[in-house]
Amino acid sequence: MSTAAAGRIVVVGNGIAGLTAADTLREAGFDGDLTIVGDEPHPAYSRPALSKALLRDRNAGTAHELPPAGHGATELLGVRATRLDLDRRLVALDDGTDLPYDRLVLATGSRARRLSGLPGEATLRGLDDAVALRDRLASAPTVVVIGGGPLGMEIASACVGSGCRTTLVSQGTPLTHQLGPHLAGVFVSAALASGLTLVRTGTAARIDGTTDAGRVVLDSGEAVEAELIVSAVGDIPNTEWLADTGLTANGAVPVDVRGLARPDVAAVGDLAAFPTPHGVRRVPLWSSAIEQARTAARALLHGDQAPPLRFQPYFWTEQFGLSLKAAGRLPTAGEPAYLEGEPGGGPALMRWSHADGSATAAALGLRVPVPRLRRMTEPTT
Amino acid sequence: MKIVLDRPRCEGHGLCEEAAPQLMHLDEHGELVLDREELADTDASTAQAAVRVCPVAALRIA
Repeated sequence: MSTAAAGRIVVVGNGIAGLTAADTLREAGFDGDLTIVGDEPHPAYSRPALSKALLRDRNAGTAHELPPAGHGATELLGVRATRLDLDRRLVALDDGTDLPYDRLVLATGSRARRLSGLPGEATLRGLDDAVALRDRLASAPTVVVIGGGPLGMEIASACVGSGCRTTLVSQGTPLTHQLGPHLAGVFVSAALASGLTLVRTGTAARIDGTTDAGRVVLDSGEAVEAELIVSAVGDIPNTEWLADTGLTANGAVPVDVRGLARPDVAAVGDLAAFPTPHGVRRVPLWSSAIEQARTAARALLHGDQAPPLRFQPYFWTEQFGLSLKAAGRLPTAGEPAYLEGEPGGGPALMRWSHADGSATAAALGLRVPVPRLRRMTEPTT
Repeated sequence: MKIVLDRPRCEGHGLCEEAAPQLMHLDEHGELVLDREELADTDASTAQAAVRVCPVAALRIA
């Protein structure tokens, strides 16, 4: 199929997934009419930086900035898609216009899950959230962070670093669910040593809206009060605008191995659930969004001729003075082999072998590039 | 056309090497080495992919 047959392509979503899809369409030879819609007024930015350098370092004002887009698409920024009509091939926007397409990329991402509708509950998802949170931290308020995942821990780290008396409320031990007990232990030790107060709960905490002060109520009935409450309790795909299309399942958009929901519609990034060795699931991470977008853009032009997704997980975090880079399956059970360094939180290179012969490799405080970590995850024969 | 590295921004992830192994690699210390600064037109798409995948925008094309 020539790319001329693709006609007009609309990309809905201007995060890294939408941006990469638009770039890749051009790389793959599509020189037709291309439009990208973004609900934020900002150019695309690096979301991982928001909870790391941008929040931690008051001088890191540009840590999130990406090189300018090279796709030359018509950019409609600050407008939101409200409805999709698959039969008439129209995307309705909240400024009242209908955008016609021949091929469509769904990349509207996800938003922060909230525990309440209270204005006092801060979340960190977009650039505006990050800048507002950084400004709040400047006056060193007391903080309760709810959520013991990587995002909650990165936020808590920035709060402690800003001199805030900070309590983290976590269901179970932070990071265990995402990284496994060994790495979780390394980070929790560093967090406690840096002055974080950790409160473990059995079930979800709730935010008490009956007082002016911020109050987080635990399952024990006890309450923790603070001047600032930040929740980091997961994300919800932005798929409401697709509600009557039949494209969604369990709130996400399931796609095939090439990122297509149907031949003329691709879905990429945090809203897409794609086939992995562990089932069809969302993998809302940076390199996942990029790989999905690169695959799906080519599939939108070339169908089954395009190569399928071969996603390999890559995860990194920076918090409490530690940095971690990991390739392979997470979380990991049990204790790793230390190929460099030793247990205790210092610089180390670790490897967990799995029953199927594959492995997970992690570098703590070391500049070990992904290609080397990847090689360590391959089966040893 | 060439690739320009903003070295202080580089965190050594190496996602760029994965995208464009013929153009760049990280040395044994995790420092990025540009193997071909001047790019041919045929390298443009690979170079663009390497620039785009960097989560800290340490690379750009000039």
